[in-house]
Amino acid sequence: MYGYPEPVARAIEHFMKLPGVGPKTAARLAFHVLEMSEADVKAFAKALIDLKTGLTECAVCCNITEASPCAICRDPRRDRRIICVVQEPRDVIAMERTREYHGLYHVLHGAISPMEGVGPQDIRIRELVTRVGENEIDEVILATNPNVEGEATAMYISRLLKPFQIKLTRIAHGLPVGGDLEYADEVTLAKALEGRRAL
Amino acid sequence: MDIRRVELHDFRNYAAAALELSPGVNVLVGENGQGKTNALEAMLLIAVGKSHRAHRDRDLIRWEKDRARILLEASTRYGDRRLTLELGPEGRRAFANGVQVGRMTEFVGQVQVVLFAPEDLDLVKGSPRVRRRFLDTELGQMEPLYLHHLSLYNRALLQRNRWLKSSGLSPDDGVLATFDEQIAFHGAHVIHRRLRFLARLRAYAARIYSDIASGREQFALSYRSSVLGVEEGMTVEQIEGAVQRALERNRAQDLRFGTTSAGPHRDDILLFLDGREVHTAASQGQQRTIALSLRLAEIDFMHEELGEYPVLLLDDVLSELDDLRQRNLVLGMSRKVQTVITTTSLNRLGQELDDFRLFRVCSGIIAEERV
Repeated sequence: MYGYPEPVARAIEHFMKLPGVGPKTAARLAFHVLEMSEADVKAFAKALIDLKTGLTECAVCCNITEASPCAICRDPRRDRRIICVVQEPRDVIAMERTREYHGLYHVLHGAISPMEGVGPQDIRIRELVTRVGENEIDEVILATNPNVEGEATAMYISRLLKPFQIKLTRIAHGLPVGGDLEYADEVTLAKALEGRRAL
Repeated sequence: MDIRRVELHDFRNYAAAALELSPGVNVLVGENGQGKTNALEAMLLIAVGKSHRAHRDRDLIRWEKDRARILLEASTRYGDRRLTLELGPEGRRAFANGVQVGRMTEFVGQVQVVLFAPEDLDLVKGSPRVRRRFLDTELGQMEPLYLHHLSLYNRALLQRNRWLKSSGLSPDDGVLATFDEQIAFHGAHVIHRRLRFLARLRAYAARIYSDIASGREQFALSYRSSVLGVEEGMTVEQIEGAVQRALERNRAQDLRFGTTSAGPHRDDILLFLDGREVHTAASQGQQRTIALSLRLAEIDFMHEELGEYPVLLLDDVLSELDDLRQRNLVLGMSRKVQTVITTTSLNRLGQELDDFRLFRVCSGIIAEERV
């Protein structure tokens, strides 16, 4: 039986390691790369390598950065007394888009999940505790995801930070703003009802 | 609500068949394997979007055909409905009063049916898992937040159990406590909603049982929680405290066995006849009557929630009931709801009922007979 030439087969194999990519998509991607100009392919390959070798973790907030400390931790306009704890580097970008938060971050790189073999020692919790102990911090905002693992992580951290007697807060959940009530799912709506406030 | 007309095209063993139903009792009579249940299945499919026994639409399409079509006409208090569902290789297409409906979730629920099938006997005879599934499905339909708490509970439980299995080495690094807290919170909401539901179900089911059995025995049910100290009438916070204490109390044991020994995932519904637990002392007919009562209670729930009765589909339930129970069931129910019954033989029922429509089902052909 005819198989793909070795280089194609190897490329397919590697594409299949990416999330959400099956054998068919992988083959399509591999053949697409084959059609690309050599310069483009080289730039693509370099971008992938730079992603791995050109990045490091910020010594302060553990976010990924080209130079440690990262741009946010170096920024003198930032309020250094507030730390927002998030699970992933992508969450920092999401928070930054609000342009409303001017404190610092702490990136955990995951959440506690025994099912995936992730315990507290596997994410940057120790670094957070040290950081809070060594700096003048007023408030820690726990902005982990509102699912079981995110809640467990927030709870775990809040217990560790209790002794420091600082303000500990958890982000609220509620309705998406600007949308119509009728389009909200029942659970979100019911949760928003629970968290209603007096006018 | 009444189903007026049902048409089947290349559905299961039907090439083309139609049923004009009466608003009262309708009986489909025929040998086994002729297509009686298939006709009920078609109505269920239109009502809830799912079959009770087929997992793939392919199984619902007639042998060597590409697509099947079901048409159902009903009159409801919100107006007449003409619902069509097409099953084909590209998926489903649904139409309501001639307009295509994009999503199945918007299509289902326009007519309401309650189906009692022989498998429902498992509610009485089966393991606690069957009764928990009954609770979860019934509550899940009525209370979206129940499903929310249940799924988070199950997730937290899975995490806790995995932790128990793998991390027995560092028993108190605080991880267990964070999952315990969520298990207690969501578990308490699950239990609280189940207790509230069962309090209503109990009243309905006991009355239905008594009607079918002519008051010969008293049927009762109660919730048995694996969590010590959980009682009806407790607040969510009180239940949460009880679950939390149970988790702490069982911790050593849970660590040893690598699983969580108490919580709503281990709870059950206890069924009683005249104060005695059912599986120790109940006849086949009594057990069937209990299963029927639990299922038929749904009719009263729906009436309360929606302001009208659903259509009752009884699949082959008469055979194991004595004449009295058959009569009480059919006469009692048909007074308030439209009923469609399948049976292999009419027996005495034919004489007891003075007004019903009879259909003979034979090899995928439905013919109305005069009675």
